[in-house]
Amino acid sequence: MMMQEEAAVAFSPLTQCYGGSSFAAHMLWLIPALPIIAAGAIALLKQPRRKTSATLAIGSLSFSLLLSLVAFGQVLMDWAYGDYGSRETVNLTWFQVGAIHVDLGWVLDPLSAIMLVMVSFVGLLIFIYSTGYMAHDENYTRFFCFLSLFAGAMLGVVISNSLLLLFMCWELVGLTSYLLIGFWYQKPSAAAAAKKAFLTTRVGDIFFLLGMVWLFAQTGTLLFYNNGGGSMEHVALSALLAQPAALGLTAAGAIGLLIFAGAAGKSGQLPLHVWLPDAMEGPTPVSALIHAATMVAAGVYLIARVYPLMQAGALAGGTTTALTVVTWVGASTAVFAALIAVAQNDIKRILAYSTVSQLGYMMAGLGMGGVAVGMFHLITHAFFKALLFMGAGSVIHGCHEEQDIRRMGGLKADMPLTFITYSIGMLALCGFPIFFSGFWSKDGILEAAQHWSVAKAPFYMLVFGALLTAFYMTRQVAYVFFDHWRGHKPAHESPAVMTVPLAILAFFAITLGALGTPVWPWFRAFLDGRAAGFDLHGFAEPGLLALMTTSTLVVFLGLGVGWRLYGNKSTRPEAKDALENAVPWVWAVLRDRFYVDELYGVTVIAFYAWWGRVADWLDRHVWGGAVTGVAWSFGLWARLSRFLDTNVVDGSFDKGCEELSAGGGLLSRVQSGRVQAYLRILALAVVALAAVLIWSARP
Amino acid sequence: MNYPGFYPDLFRVTLPETALEVAALLVLVIDLGFLRKAALKVRVAVAALIGIAGCGAALWALQCTARSGLSFDGDVLLAQGGYTQVAQTGILALTILTLLLFIGSAFTRHAGEYVSVVLMAAAGGLIVSSAQDLLVIFIGLELLSLGLYILTAFAKSSGKSAEAAMKYYLFGGMSAAFLLFGFSYLYGISGSTNLNKILLASFYSSASGGAPLLYVALVLIAAGLGFKVAAVPFHLWAPDTYEGAPAPAAAFIASVSKVASFALLISISTAAVHLFDGVHELRFVAFTLGPPPKYLGLWIPWSLILTVLSAASMVVGNLAALAQISVRRLLAYSAIAHAGYILLGLAFFSHSNASANAILYYILTYGLTTIGAFGVVDVVQRATGSDRLDAFLGLHKRNPLLAAVLLVLFLSLAGIPPLVGFWAKFNLFAAVLGVSAGPVAFALVALAVALSAVSLYYYLQVLKRAYVMPAVDETPIKAHPVTMAVLLAIAAAVVVFGCFPALLQNWIAGF
Repeated sequence: MMMQEEAAVAFSPLTQCYGGSSFAAHMLWLIPALPIIAAGAIALLKQPRRKTSATLAIGSLSFSLLLSLVAFGQVLMDWAYGDYGSRETVNLTWFQVGAIHVDLGWVLDPLSAIMLVMVSFVGLLIFIYSTGYMAHDENYTRFFCFLSLFAGAMLGVVISNSLLLLFMCWELVGLTSYLLIGFWYQKPSAAAAAKKAFLTTRVGDIFFLLGMVWLFAQTGTLLFYNNGGGSMEHVALSALLAQPAALGLTAAGAIGLLIFAGAAGKSGQLPLHVWLPDAMEGPTPVSALIHAATMVAAGVYLIARVYPLMQAGALAGGTTTALTVVTWVGASTAVFAALIAVAQNDIKRILAYSTVSQLGYMMAGLGMGGVAVGMFHLITHAFFKALLFMGAGSVIHGCHEEQDIRRMGGLKADMPLTFITYSIGMLALCGFPIFFSGFWSKDGILEAAQHWSVAKAPFYMLVFGALLTAFYMTRQVAYVFFDHWRGHKPAHESPAVMTVPLAILAFFAITLGALGTPVWPWFRAFLDGRAAGFDLHGFAEPGLLALMTTSTLVVFLGLGVGWRLYGNKSTRPEAKDALENAVPWVWAVLRDRFYVDELYGVTVIAFYAWWGRVADWLDRHVWGGAVTGVAWSFGLWARLSRFLDTNVVDGSFDKGCEELSAGGGLLSRVQSGRVQAYLRILALAVVALAAVLIWSARP
Repeated sequence: MNYPGFYPDLFRVTLPETALEVAALLVLVIDLGFLRKAALKVRVAVAALIGIAGCGAALWALQCTARSGLSFDGDVLLAQGGYTQVAQTGILALTILTLLLFIGSAFTRHAGEYVSVVLMAAAGGLIVSSAQDLLVIFIGLELLSLGLYILTAFAKSSGKSAEAAMKYYLFGGMSAAFLLFGFSYLYGISGSTNLNKILLASFYSSASGGAPLLYVALVLIAAGLGFKVAAVPFHLWAPDTYEGAPAPAAAFIASVSKVASFALLISISTAAVHLFDGVHELRFVAFTLGPPPKYLGLWIPWSLILTVLSAASMVVGNLAALAQISVRRLLAYSAIAHAGYILLGLAFFSHSNASANAILYYILTYGLTTIGAFGVVDVVQRATGSDRLDAFLGLHKRNPLLAAVLLVLFLSLAGIPPLVGFWAKFNLFAAVLGVSAGPVAFALVALAVALSAVSLYYYLQVLKRAYVMPAVDETPIKAHPVTMAVLLAIAAAVVVFGCFPALLQNWIAGF
């Protein structure tokens, strides 16, 4: 039979490229799947099942952490045995339309392995901390459902080997962040902040989507790596470089910039940073998880993931347009946000602006120094910023939900554990020399900036940012932990379930630095796929010691000025800030966040409000009329059809019934009447069809 | 018979049908012989389980049989492998689902008879979907149809059921007469009962002046098959039957019988499009000294008939559904509309397997979804005593799971992504446009897309009552656990196949 011989042609079978990948790579999908399944299970639980929900969430994430460690171990082993460029992918076809097929897949390489461990570990600590922090909330189960879903989505972003899968998880992350920021939706400010976060990040996502579609149109694949056929591999990249786009950019550069716009939205870079400080309306563990450790880092991770694209076309030691843009945006954000942080009074807002500023550092590090430089700061920052946020949460918890640092003070006596861990986090953030991880990671960025060939300005901007960082953190710590208590009710230390995670994070905030010192640059070697050697001459690189001295001095200067202005000066909560007394107009500008929100209010939002009114008018008077017309005509059709049904078909039936009712019983009436009409129509239809056919075939 | 291996071959090829028939007899023996004093519940469960076991055995036999088919005297009688195997597997799987729904229903005390009739009808469906010969086709169709008439009448205490069965039977009898009449013409024209030979011969004869007779034959056959798939204007039985038949029987008619009939239409269309491949076309041109005739721009009269039926079904089905107040009648008109879409795929049938695969994908997923829809309607109807739209008021309060299943199934029927109905429509329309990029095909696809937008309206009418409008009665609705499990499984399958369309596509393409 001819038809059966061709039976196996149409849809090609599932393409699966296992490529001899390891067990760990095969099981990688479980890491995001477990928390997502847990979220689904928690969603089905009733509200009072608090213990079960927390157990499910923490249990699933523990398994994810375990699997992440196994995966990390796998990559580490490969690396240790000299297989430096180890990268395993598992790809499968999602669906296929004609010749186009859309593939999804996941990847296990040093970048994803490190990120997996960080996200699941920090996430797990935050989950545990949340059981204490949210203990009194009535929507405890809902909280853990969202938290779990978020963790799963974030882990999905990390393992994706396909821009499409990454985008799906990315949007899921955006959704859960919306849900979590607006968790206390009864508060109008929280609801507004959630909306703002969602809409602002959507602006970036539109560009991201455009970039993705463009990439697919040019290369026909969205997989990053696919045995030479992926979009981040040589063939696709050279095709993209050969394709010119507008403004002297190649297609590679233009797509890179579009993707960066998405990353800028998620990572709170200028000019899309406005949502991040407002997002502090959410519960503090959320701020720690989403706005310090993971979600905002997703943007940085995305750039690291598509780095081959961003870097495509760069000559040795050179840079590309896309990376230059990333650098300038990052450096500007770093300084801009640090300036604003100086003049804030809400403990979490200060940290939020500090996060924006540090994300700027990471972006600048990626732009100037490569993946390893940016990612190292991402990892260290995730630990100490989560520590700071959770410390802030502990403070807020101890001070009976007070967030204004002017109404705190002297807490070092009341909350000793929180104080010690918070100070460690603060010193790591400031980049206190030698002993803290932040020093080494920030130093890597400064070093890259110093050697950057395009301009020197980013270097000075970042050094100035470091000074500001030390200054505002000193101000915050002085306000919160020193002086006298300025609040109403006395503060108390938080329970162990909250302080133990703080201590663990503090430990890592100190020790992680050891992975990236110039003497033993393990982190860099691991990510770049080189061997790492212990070499004391690492310090002897030209200019390195001078740079380290400079940054040390800058940090001490910041700490000193901060302490001089704010240290041990007993003030009433209503008293003016020291800086406000000195330069009132600068203070006002900084306090009001450079009026960016107001600017958006009178430009973008006003434009949309106007456009909304125009669209409303069009909708009501133009489209509405058209739609009503169509609907009306369809209504007419339907009525006509029913009319035919009742009067022509049923009419003859009724007629038949009437004729029969005189003689026949009820049963015969029902059974025969209508069928006669049916059969008549059947015969007529046959005749009509034959007539049409013969007529149409006439010569 | 003139070759020695015929009977062994016959047995080997019809092993699945044999399994079903054996199970059908076994059910009767056990139910009427051993379980006469048992409780009705037990008898229903046992009968359904034996039936399911029979279907399972048939599925297993289907995997084991060779893919050579059964030939007699060089002509293929029964085909195997390829789309036939997909359709047969689908028929058996859908039969299992309807048998599971039967466990939870209580419209009859004659459990054994019901299951054995279902199995025999399914065997008829298997034959229909593999038949390549007019006589075999007719026997298969009659076996299937007679089973369906009986199933429709099975709710003996319901007047509606009896009335629907009577109408269905009369209408079906007349259609069968037309079909047989058409077959006899074909035999007269071609001197053969094999599909391929007939189509080839009929083209030569149409070139030499025999065309009008051929047209009459084709129209008569279209009437017979149009009745099976409920295409306008041969659809008149469908609303009454769907309304009157007991729910598992209606689900069987709407799914299994449709799969079999469309598989037969695929056989015919495949044979037709393969007429003019290479050698034959050259011979045709040499024979008539001119290109093959065109019919309103369509290559073959068969596809013209199908186009007319398709357009009429889409328009009438979708518009009439708008005015319905009974959900079962609504489903009937929606079935007519869906048949219209599929007929469009048959009218523009591709030379490669793309069309056959798209049609099978459509009909299998449609069958799955519609079984679920009838299951939900039945549960509601038994709780409220009515299948009116208003019976669904506040369903999400009365049984949230049931309402969720209804939501998934109806949105899938309307073709909303990411549910499976979307991919079914997408594949089908893509296949149509892949065959012909001309204005006619494009206009018809545009019409189909516009009408599926219209269809969303009546599906949402039901969902609006289930979810949005205030409930009049908030007492919970209880469903039999087996029924509920089947419905949930169907809804889950609709979601999973929708999210991962490659699963089913590759499975179908793999044969």
